Amino acid sequence: MGHRPGRVLMRVKVLIVEDSKASREYIASTVEAVEGIDAVVTSSGFEALKLLPRHRFDLIITDINMPDINGLELINFVKKNPNYRDVPLFIITTEGREQDRDRGMALGAAEYLVKPFQPGSLESLLRRYLKLP
Amino acid sequence: MSPASKALAEFVAEATEILEALGKDLLVLDERRGQEADPERVNGIFRAAHSLKGLAGLFGQERISRLAHGTEDLLDRLRLGKLLLDDAVLDTLIEALDAFQALLAETAHGSESEGLSRRAEGMAERLGRLGAPVAARDEDPLDRLELDAQVRAVFTEYEEHRLRENVRRGVSLWRVRAAFDLSDFDKGLADLNARLKPLGEVISTLPSAQPGGAHGIAFDLIFGAQVAQAELESGLKGTPAELSQLTVRPSSASARSAEALSRAPLAQAESHAALVVASPTDVLPQTPATRRGGRKKGARATPAPAATAPGARAGDASHPVVESRRAAAPEARADAGPPPGPGPASQAWLPLADPATWGARPGPASGDWALSADETRSGVEATEGHEEVAAGRGTRPARGPVGNPGAASVVEARSQGGRGPGTSGPVPSLVTYLQGPGGRAPGRTAPASDRPAAPAPVPAESSLRSLTQTVRVDIGRLDGLINMVGELLLIKANLQRLAESARVDGAVPLSKLFGQELARETRGLERKLEALQEGLLEARMVPVGQVFDKLARLVRRITREAGKEIDFVIGGGEVELDKLIVEELSDPLMHLIRNAIDHGVEPPEVRLAAGKPRRAVVALRAEQKGNHVVIEVSDDGAGIDELRVREVALGRGLITFAQAEEMGRRELLNLIFLPGFSTARSVSELSGRGVGLDVVKNNLGNLSGIIDVWSERGKGTAFHLTLPVTLAIIRALVVGVSARTYAVPLNSVLEILSVQPGDIRTLERREVLDVRGQTLPFVRLSRLFGLPERPVSRYFVVVVGLAQERLGIAVDELHGQQDIVTKPLGGRLQSVRGISGATDLGNRRTVLVLDVAALLEEGMAQERRRA
Amino acid sequence: MSRFAELLDDFFYRPDEDVGGLQDFASGSDGASSLLPEEVPEEYLAFRLEGESYAVPIRAVREISKVPPLTEIPRAEPQLLGLMNLRGELLPAYDVKVRLGLAEKAPLVAGPEAPPPPRDARIIVLRTQTGPAGVWVDGVAGVVKLKPSMLEPPPASLRMGDRDCVVGIGRRGPSLYILLDPEQALAP
Repeated sequence: MGHRPGRVLMRVKVLIVEDSKASREYIASTVEAVEGIDAVVTSSGFEALKLLPRHRFDLIITDINMPDINGLELINFVKKNPNYRDVPLFIITTEGREQDRDRGMALGAAEYLVKPFQPGSLESLLRRYLKLP
Repeated sequence: MSPASKALAEFVAEATEILEALGKDLLVLDERRGQEADPERVNGIFRAAHSLKGLAGLFGQERISRLAHGTEDLLDRLRLGKLLLDDAVLDTLIEALDAFQALLAETAHGSESEGLSRRAEGMAERLGRLGAPVAARDEDPLDRLELDAQVRAVFTEYEEHRLRENVRRGVSLWRVRAAFDLSDFDKGLADLNARLKPLGEVISTLPSAQPGGAHGIAFDLIFGAQVAQAELESGLKGTPAELSQLTVRPSSASARSAEALSRAPLAQAESHAALVVASPTDVLPQTPATRRGGRKKGARATPAPAATAPGARAGDASHPVVESRRAAAPEARADAGPPPGPGPASQAWLPLADPATWGARPGPASGDWALSADETRSGVEATEGHEEVAAGRGTRPARGPVGNPGAASVVEARSQGGRGPGTSGPVPSLVTYLQGPGGRAPGRTAPASDRPAAPAPVPAESSLRSLTQTVRVDIGRLDGLINMVGELLLIKANLQRLAESARVDGAVPLSKLFGQELARETRGLERKLEALQEGLLEARMVPVGQVFDKLARLVRRITREAGKEIDFVIGGGEVELDKLIVEELSDPLMHLIRNAIDHGVEPPEVRLAAGKPRRAVVALRAEQKGNHVVIEVSDDGAGIDELRVREVALGRGLITFAQAEEMGRRELLNLIFLPGFSTARSVSELSGRGVGLDVVKNNLGNLSGIIDVWSERGKGTAFHLTLPVTLAIIRALVVGVSARTYAVPLNSVLEILSVQPGDIRTLERREVLDVRGQTLPFVRLSRLFGLPERPVSRYFVVVVGLAQERLGIAVDELHGQQDIVTKPLGGRLQSVRGISGATDLGNRRTVLVLDVAALLEEGMAQERRRA
Repeated sequence: MSRFAELLDDFFYRPDEDVGGLQDFASGSDGASSLLPEEVPEEYLAFRLEGESYAVPIRAVREISKVPPLTEIPRAEPQLLGLMNLRGELLPAYDVKVRLGLAEKAPLVAGPEAPPPPRDARIIVLRTQTGPAGVWVDGVAGVVKLKPSMLEPPPASLRMGDRDCVVGIGRRGPSLYILLDPEQALAP
């Protein structure tokens, strides 16, 4: 998987897992503002587990602190699963949760963003990982 | 709305939700001061603060964000065991909640006051300094746990901490593996969690990294069991779970096991008391489980397993000592050496054996026990409340380095029973709410103990539900949808008529096939409508606990001001009512509660002198009864003196002496609702506050509800508010009188009689009917409404009733039943008597809906006047 | 229908509309303008009640409806004719003739005994502080523009039963309009 030539013409799909509605909307609107990206949003890790086999995501953005399974478990699941392990994954964390962030990175997350973040910083990461112009 | 103000509204809405959840959890912690806090609840509060911080940050709400940061920080230390939850910490958290609410209110109004900013700033600073650190331990118990490093790497810091705590306490740790179908694994997991929760702590849920086939997914749950292996196994029977015990190497400080053993007898005695008291509430959950069964609330419902598990515990009540000993067993084992049974090679999967093999007791509660618990429930509430308080104090789990799983499991089971919608019944769970006053220093009893107990809104499956999954629907939008349903119902009725004529009338040049097809379409449409209707109604329903919680906070303040000592008991907060009704309820309820506190309840000295307990009980309870919800506001205070009521009513000329002679106790008491009865001066001598019990009654009337009072001198007073579950879509009986058509809400129709004019008797100049030996007050709707009367050979008498009141309403014709969408007359027409709204019945005919409560009222008033 | 009339009205030539002032304004003259700020005309909806011409400010009118079946409300005040259903919305419909001294009692227009409404009769839905309310009129005459200079105070000799609801007389050419205050006319 990963980058496929000529991809620019295709729309890419980003999964956003975040339980806070307002944060989810914020992230989703930032993601969707980038030309060529569709956002699929969900509020729980469980839902994410259900969505994974049904879509082909090009990137995943997940919160760590969630009520059902935590973001680390989701990262672990994604990174250990041959079907998804190549999908780049960003963590959204908040200040003060360095240990969890470090674990997420150790489990294979590509990047992390600390809330509150500027839309621009997420946008540039998206462009970089999704090879968008 | 501009994008900016829309974003702000979104922020305020979500922040409000978060703060509400936070407030409820804090209330529970507050109520259980002195007990060890439920780690999951503390984590829930942490998560709330965490979400709030992130949210505020995203929306640039700096003041809220900073305070949330401080709060989150403190809570983080708490949940990670770096800090003890003492009174000072809890008080500060409650203050912080107040500050959050004030900040949010300012934000919503677009203002920012200097004073509040400073207050928030100061508070954030204080939060950072707060709390005594827990003494450091030299060894990390987690090192003794044999767990794959890969698994450990997936734990968050918090999960790691919980695991550490469980190891430290010598709890037996299990890996519970279960595979589910991908399509509904969340249901399976919810079920598994619901079964596991009463038995211990689910520390982590790990989706297995191994691909579970195309349609499957496996999970590993790391579980700290508070019960013996056999009980765990029987608790999981019927689930796809496989168990394997995790090995914990013995602690170097082996002296601990000796200490644990020496504590055992005490623990047994304590758990005995707790079990006996706790059982009734534990058994009750089966009621709502049945009630909810028909309501398709799949997402919320895990009632079955949740109800069974505590039930199983109730069954144990007859041998509590045995129970304690068994439960204590794993602890001793874990501390003494490698566990028996699976042996050192503990990763082997055990099949779940038949419970009999393991000597486990039968699962679900025995019917006998449930029944007897139910029968004695009211007695327990009324007379044993204070013993329960004492028991609550006694069961505080040991705080030593080695916890006692026996006692802890009892507490856990009990709080399960008393918790949220999933598990608790409409009957107040006294045990949960009366614990407060128990283990507290005398000095701070008054302010803290009257703090109400919120019915913890987060049900047992809280770990599966996001803080923000609650749907907040704008009531205007809902009303629009409901209007749409009304229109759809119209279309349906028209279609039905079409189909009927096409099929029956051969002269119509349409094929029968056409008619059949049309009829089939109609049925399909009908089904869809029903689903839509049901969904809409449910969306409108909110737990009355919403308003109870708000009241609980106010009660605290009032009690303190009044200098009374009161336990405020809440029950049935999970009972659901139409949003509109719930919103409108807070004023009348506040009024009644204020009356109870100010005037119903005597000062402590007076109570002692009267041989009553020093602390009074004011209770607010909701219970669903069919299509109605009954809310009771009661106190065990001085009661209302009906003879004084009589005197006042006579004095004010509200009744004549002759009328007063005829009146029974109940009728006399109900005079307090007459307009003009109560004035502040006269009524404070009785027990009402006076200003406006008639207003309370009117408010309820607007909600199609009625109020009734019971009181006994020296014993107390209880107000019963009977309300319809919803106002929006109701089934109605369509009746005809004088060529007009009216709709009567079916939920208040008791029966319909066919009556010859000769059956109507005149008793003391009023018309009555004899129905099965009882005299039924009776009105002719045509006369009541001043319509031209038509001679008829027989009347139909629609017997309506609410609470104890009965009234026969005579009409000319019955046109059948129909679902109607009632629209309030609203605006200019609010004062129209006897009509609650209007509806469409098809043919664009607007039909008025009778206000049964008001008509009953009127009928009874006529009775009184004529009597 | 009212909207349409309103739109067309703007295109009609009116001899009494003085454009000279506008030209003055455009040329930058600060000389006396005949179009004083208070001379901005206001639009009124004119209608008939028992042969008399009445008018209410058009901003108080939400819409005009043919007379739908009215549902009588038992034991309501006499001026409340009944309840009407306007596209799913329930509105009260009122009689103002009794208040204005045009009739002894409100006409029987609701309920099974009521005759079908006259062809020209309409219900004007007015915006009031307590919500929208319908008023029965015998016919709608159209939109008129009245400038402040065309308004006169209500004559002292007015035979109105309730003078509070008449705020003045509008005189436009040969036509006289009795101007009503909707709030007052519908006050309980």
